[in-house]
Amino acid sequence: MIASDALGRGIGAHPMLRALFRDSRTRIALVVLLLVTLGAILAPLLAPYDPTAHLDIEHLNSQPPSAAHPFGTDPYSRDVLSRLIYGSRVSLAVGLGSVALAMTFGIAVGIAAGYLGGAVDAVLMRLVDAAISVPRLLVLIMVVSLWGRLDLVPLTLLMAGTGWFAVSRLVRAETLALRDREFVLAARALGVPTPRVLVRHVLPNVIAPALVAAALSIANVILLEAALSYLGVGISTPTASWGAIIQDGAERVAELWWLTLFPGLAILVTVFACNALGDALRDAFDPRQLPRDDSDALFASEA
Amino acid sequence: MRRYVAGRLLQATIVVLLVTTVTFVLVHLAPGDPISLLFDRPGITEAMRQEWRASFGLDRPLGEQYVRWISNTVRGDLGYSISLRRPVADVIADALPRTLLLVGLALTLSFALGIVVAVLQSERPGSARDRWLGRVLLVLFSVPDFWLALMVLIVFAYRLPIFPPSGIVDPVLHDYMGPWARARDRIEHLVLPVATFTMLTTATISRHQRSALLEVLPSDWMRTAIAKGLSRRRAVRRHALRNALLPSITLAGLYLPALFSGALLIEKVFSWPGMGLLAVYAISSRDYLLITATVLVSSIAVAVGAFLADLATALADPRIRVG
Amino acid sequence: MIRKPRSFRPHVARWTHVALAGMVLAGCRDVQQQPVAAGPNDIGGTMVVAQAAEPATLLPPLAGMSIERQITDLLYDRLAEIGDDLNSVGDRGFKRQLAERWEWAPDSLSIVFHLDPRAHWHDGVPVRASDVRYSFALMKDPALGSPNLPLISNIDSVAVRDSLTAVAYFKRHTPEQFYDLVYQVLIVPEHVLHNTPPVQMKTAEVARRGVGSGRFRLNRWENGKRLELVADTANYRGRPKLDRIVYTPTPDFNTAITRFFAGDADFFEQLRPEHIAQLAKDTTRRAMPYATLGYGYLALNNVDGKQPGQPHPIFGDRAVRRALTMAVDRRAMLKNVFGPYASPLYGPFPHALPVVDTTLPQIPYDTARARALLDSAGWLLGPDGVRAKDGRRLEFGITTPVSSAARKQYSVLLQEAFKRVGAAARIDEVDNATFMARNGDRSFDTSIELYANDPSPSGFKQSWTTSSLGKDGSNFASYSNPLVDALLDSATATFDPRRTRAYLRRAFETIIEDAPGIWLYEPPTVAGVHKRIRTNTLRADGYWSGMADWWIPAAERTARDRIGLRPTP
Repeated sequence: MIASDALGRGIGAHPMLRALFRDSRTRIALVVLLLVTLGAILAPLLAPYDPTAHLDIEHLNSQPPSAAHPFGTDPYSRDVLSRLIYGSRVSLAVGLGSVALAMTFGIAVGIAAGYLGGAVDAVLMRLVDAAISVPRLLVLIMVVSLWGRLDLVPLTLLMAGTGWFAVSRLVRAETLALRDREFVLAARALGVPTPRVLVRHVLPNVIAPALVAAALSIANVILLEAALSYLGVGISTPTASWGAIIQDGAERVAELWWLTLFPGLAILVTVFACNALGDALRDAFDPRQLPRDDSDALFASEA
Repeated sequence: MRRYVAGRLLQATIVVLLVTTVTFVLVHLAPGDPISLLFDRPGITEAMRQEWRASFGLDRPLGEQYVRWISNTVRGDLGYSISLRRPVADVIADALPRTLLLVGLALTLSFALGIVVAVLQSERPGSARDRWLGRVLLVLFSVPDFWLALMVLIVFAYRLPIFPPSGIVDPVLHDYMGPWARARDRIEHLVLPVATFTMLTTATISRHQRSALLEVLPSDWMRTAIAKGLSRRRAVRRHALRNALLPSITLAGLYLPALFSGALLIEKVFSWPGMGLLAVYAISSRDYLLITATVLVSSIAVAVGAFLADLATALADPRIRVG
Repeated sequence: MIRKPRSFRPHVARWTHVALAGMVLAGCRDVQQQPVAAGPNDIGGTMVVAQAAEPATLLPPLAGMSIERQITDLLYDRLAEIGDDLNSVGDRGFKRQLAERWEWAPDSLSIVFHLDPRAHWHDGVPVRASDVRYSFALMKDPALGSPNLPLISNIDSVAVRDSLTAVAYFKRHTPEQFYDLVYQVLIVPEHVLHNTPPVQMKTAEVARRGVGSGRFRLNRWENGKRLELVADTANYRGRPKLDRIVYTPTPDFNTAITRFFAGDADFFEQLRPEHIAQLAKDTTRRAMPYATLGYGYLALNNVDGKQPGQPHPIFGDRAVRRALTMAVDRRAMLKNVFGPYASPLYGPFPHALPVVDTTLPQIPYDTARARALLDSAGWLLGPDGVRAKDGRRLEFGITTPVSSAARKQYSVLLQEAFKRVGAAARIDEVDNATFMARNGDRSFDTSIELYANDPSPSGFKQSWTTSSLGKDGSNFASYSNPLVDALLDSATATFDPRRTRAYLRRAFETIIEDAPGIWLYEPPTVAGVHKRIRTNTLRADGYWSGMADWWIPAAERTARDRIGLRPTP
């Protein structure tokens, strides 16, 4: 439904997309993300064991990697490889779900603040300033420790609720710049109603920077999920997530290294792919389209 | 200029007030209270707990507690930590310098390192050197903070016991050492956390510095400089860098909340008793005023950082000064 | 460095064998160390203790945490000390401390204590009978808010006869009246404290000064860094063998462990199973088991947390409680969580208490019978593998504190075990404050409790009687059975230890059959100690009680032992 001067000309032909796919980072990132996604979808076929089954709590607990269990077993005698494969579902679900929500909300707030200006802008942006000034990790620790461990859906909502500040600022800045551009002014002069102006003319032009932001945000959420788990306030058991596997070994890192090493590498590779894709997207979408302080700095503030 | 500063200060005050108020209310609404955690033996009567609650004013209505907290804080009294039985200000005064030392050292080092790497990269953008350094930085940018710290800890403190795994100084012998041994003891304890932290922050700073450099490279005066016979390498080092430093200073200001999160994880892994660990401790012991105070300190730090960053940008850019 | 040649098998292996045979008794003696006694040259040395906790007060009547009791026990004295057999009836086995002797009145309602004239406070002022009176009055003062106040309710008052003679008056003659006074009341210095009103004592600086009459004195205390005790060289009970004990608080358990294994600490209170195994190969450190009075169980809440007073829709039914107990392979779980190191739990009591019996009949592990029992109780298997009755699914929460690795592990194992008989358990891993809050108002379905008993049979009344149902009690399962109430009353009223034992046996038999909890484990309490440190009797109510007589042979000293008693810089 969205037609715009940016995305309306057919995907294959668009020079930006061609530039994007010529970039080796894009290709590497897409291959990695495709593999992870396939792993998540085909988990029941790929995983050798049930990821939550206790195989033998007396004899198979905390076993180092072996032929039967290439990534070892955890203290409950669950197969780490199977948990790792199933864990990609959780990491992707939390990452994609929360970022999709956060982006939607952040874009809405950013456009509202930037386009309406005045008191709305002032109030919204002071709220965002306040929210952004508290380290996100601290907020998450506080919420989870004070109200108990969260399941998949509440955790996704919490990540979304704490993840829209930066993108709303970014979109606001974009919108502010767009508000005075000719095609918007023309539309307004012609009496096009505000919602229509926003959807047809403003929204399509903030999508590009928001996409870059989304890629970096997914990376961030996956990292945060793992950090929360390491601190013992991650997703509630027995759900298999990469962070949860690390958490099961966090008390005995030096001995049960396989519980930290393998999920850590999985996180690293996936996050790397997301960040690489974000970088490639940013370069493809003309770097100067993004205001300077809205790149790494802004997203770093969400870490 | 003065109006601009006053306006920004007012904004910052509102932000800090908002954040601490929300925190204050949230922590008081959470289940559990600090008093129950003071006793781990059975047979403590409810009447006794009530009596302890009353003696710390926890039995008063939330509104009253809030007003008292605000009026005390404005007068510079952060209150009393129930779990540690010490004034909150004393506890913060112990922890804050430790975090500042850790963060300060890591930030200084990673600025130096990050700028060097960025210059190496942007002398010839797109070259093999640029791409490889870019990939290494992207890996460091993507690695989970605590995971890298754990790996460093396992390798350099457990497998090869070169450096002490935790703490600030040797807990016993430090006081009985000579001045040189003391300095050495301190440095040994700093190496692993600072090195890890530096690696992590260098990635961010260097990536940012590179794009800032690339932004000024196509400018007219750069072209002029090169036309005048300066080699590209010298032009980058002499002129471009000076103009590209400002964004990095801005970055440092905006980067503070993330630094706090990073510091929290580093402190956790290396048992460095700074603000991050204090915050975690305060939350788990429901020490209301201590939680609020750590949030107060971090939000002030962030506000000050953002303000200084803006100020630096404003001083350098006359357009903002006017508006 | 020369080591005295000693030949013995690794400590752990030997101890494990003994523990599995169920023979570890309260205050088991570390026999291998007895042959070598401390000589005159073996005075001195520093022991560094890694602790994940730090005291908030050093005033005994305010001490509510284990770490506070430990340090105040080292700094202060009692009138008399409980014997190594932990007898709490009458005064049998009690050893003199501040009181060099005592006399009972013919009606047993008062006891005269004669103080040791050599006893001095750490500031040099002699200990007087007025201090005894003050200590009791201070603890009894509601304005102080001593958490231990209910423990001394049988003591009426303490009077001063002369400067070295104090008389304690009791309300009733009970088996434990002597224990109530001497065990629960540590003597504090009136001249140091009397200027501070009791109501301000909680936050007063003087409550952190730790001036006592014990064999160690407080040298300095830097919050978050170290708390240093040094030998009170002129002490009336003799100078401690060690020069100093340094407590180094750490932010968490793992850091304390790390510090111990890195050699930065000589002593760590509670090792985990994997560390015990690790010590078997260690040449410089050893594992040192000691008995404690803790036990872990899954409390099955008999009442509905949401509607207090109503029976719990699942656990109100004795048959369901018994069925779920049968679903749990307690032996396998014990092995999974603790390896070979923990003792099984036979009922709501630690085996170290001399009055208990570990041969009581148990509910067996039998999943087939568990399923049959659930069927006959009306909980029928649904299509999704979860049982239901009258439209209610057999679904409940297991509350466990996030701070405890063992209990977290148990929660996951229990969840899986219940799943196998058609019960869907949800793990509620909550932080300590929330855990305490849920315990307090009993707002949980099931909860993994680790309970530490007082070294006295009356401790059982705090957790398994009708009178302990309210917030003041520790009856977390809200269990109420008049027969048990009566048996426990009788057990604590008699002066005859054999009858106490018989009443307790019947009470426990009834409790086990009623299954208000699933008895899971006694935590393995094994300390890690540097081999150069020689320890002595480790009492189950506090392994530290003999610390002043621990010693380090002169030939095995390390750098920190040679600091000596020189003042801190």
